[in-house]
Amino acid sequence: MEYIIAVFIGILYASGVYLILRRSIVKVILGVFVLSNATNLIIFLSGGIKRGGVPFIPEGAESVDPATISDPLPQALILTAIVISLGISAYILALKYRYFDITGTHDLDQLKNTDQR
Amino acid sequence: MILFALLLIPFSYLMLGLLIKKAKHKKRLALLLATINFLWSMVLVPIIQFKEIIVVQMGSWAAPYGISLVADRFSVLMLVITGFVFFLITIYSTQSVDKERRKNGFFFFSFGILMGVNGSFIAGDLFNLYVWFEVMLMSSFILIGLGGERQQIEGSIKYLILNLISSLFFVAGIGLLYGKLGSLNLADLSYKMALAKDNLAILNPALILIFVGFSIKGALFPFFFWLPASYHTPPPAVTALFAALLTKVGIYSLIRFYTLFLYYDHEFWSQVLLWMGTLSMVIGVIAASSQFDFRKILSFHIISQIGYIVIALGFYTVAGLTAALFFLAHNMLAKTNAFLVAGWVHREKGTLNLKALGDMFNKSPIWGVIFFISAFSLAGLPPLSGFFGKYLVLKAGIESGYILISLIALTVGLFTLFSMVKIWIEVFWKKVPEDSAHDLPLNLKPANWMLFSSLTMALAIVGMGLWATPIVEYCEIAAKDLLTPSKYISYVLGYN
Repeated sequence: MEYIIAVFIGILYASGVYLILRRSIVKVILGVFVLSNATNLIIFLSGGIKRGGVPFIPEGAESVDPATISDPLPQALILTAIVISLGISAYILALKYRYFDITGTHDLDQLKNTDQR
Repeated sequence: MILFALLLIPFSYLMLGLLIKKAKHKKRLALLLATINFLWSMVLVPIIQFKEIIVVQMGSWAAPYGISLVADRFSVLMLVITGFVFFLITIYSTQSVDKERRKNGFFFFSFGILMGVNGSFIAGDLFNLYVWFEVMLMSSFILIGLGGERQQIEGSIKYLILNLISSLFFVAGIGLLYGKLGSLNLADLSYKMALAKDNLAILNPALILIFVGFSIKGALFPFFFWLPASYHTPPPAVTALFAALLTKVGIYSLIRFYTLFLYYDHEFWSQVLLWMGTLSMVIGVIAASSQFDFRKILSFHIISQIGYIVIALGFYTVAGLTAALFFLAHNMLAKTNAFLVAGWVHREKGTLNLKALGDMFNKSPIWGVIFFISAFSLAGLPPLSGFFGKYLVLKAGIESGYILISLIALTVGLFTLFSMVKIWIEVFWKKVPEDSAHDLPLNLKPANWMLFSSLTMALAIVGMGLWATPIVEYCEIAAKDLLTPSKYISYVLGYN
């Protein structure tokens, strides 16, 4: 299972980078979303995946074999990361909308007025 | 509690600011809380002298399991300078930022930045550091676009996307590091790395990812392109705030990260830092000398000055780290003040193009003197603070045997002087060119409070140069603390 998810993360990263290199701003933004999801999956994978291993210690048990339970912390971390990326996604889409309102273009090449020359 | 208040003070503005409608009251509340924040960070200075490292375990969960807030001498230095700069910028922005922006949450998001910055300086947990980074970045994303002018929106799209990518690098690194070591507490991670001394190669992917994340945030050489493309777009007070705090947080994290983790593979990482630092210095200063916009020149100089800090860190001796800390503190003051002067020029003339400006010295000699002090402090003229910063960096470099890099740093200083003289001549000295028919902003109110905050900052720069000894001594003790990570570890994990 780990291998499948690892390959999947690789594909997500590849498509995210491809989207970021496109000229349309919307596609760049979509690329950032894809990359952030791939990153969340990395954290998920880093805790190790166990089938059916609930992160509870049974009542009255002095110690528990770490191989039988899954690690709850990465899931908490992903939750935080997802919430943060949700907020930022909402903002970046609003920003894009405003940019389109002002300039009427999606083209990244129109974005070079503020660059150093 | 004493550290927690540094988060609570900005947070209380975020809560109370929502309840207040009038711009006047918002201004008063912001001034009050910025003052309290500065005073509170000053209180930490005497406490840190006898307590060495202040550790607070949030929710009383013991160290490696809960979230710890840690402040050592380095953090306190940064907190005090942040408090001071933020206090002055708040005073400055009451007059510099237009009423429309102040009404629509300028202070709200500037306090958001303060909360994120304070949090990053006292975070003792890697994921917690990421969360504070995001608090800071989220506020800065909004602040840079607040107002919605075309230039601003363009700048903020670039700023936003590149900083998001740096955050993704950072989070991916945290994930991999957690997968390998099973902990997120900085002290605990460093302790576990010391135990696993022979197998550190497997950590390298995670460390490199986090390093790249910090380098993008700190605007180091191959990763700095977002900075000069976006920093000159928002109102000048916002640029001053960003220049003072945002890249410096990246550098703070880099120093913390280097002294806790990367020093295990010192031979490799110090070379990386020296190369990146030298290239940042040279390329920043050369790019600056070709610009003809007040704020663009200063933006490129941020990159160049960060190079000095990074090479001083790369020497990795007590002298080198002392130099890095002193230079960081000096740079936060001098750079911010140069941007504050740019804000005044922008207010008077409505443009920052060097070719259209001129004769500002006769308009107001005192602002000229303020700019003179901050610019020539950046260039490193005695007796201003920048002289001691550069002197310490060069001394540390020569002592550790990096003669070539020290020579390059010296030459870069000359180029910095060139850029500063260029601004001085073009903005303050030469006659106003006749063909520059700019429609001047009318009915200006006097800029007393802007002058007050800029003057205070200039006095602080002079004071930091004249009474450099106690500050350098403080930085030296802080550098020694940083060079013995076992002390940090034992304080946080409670072994003593």
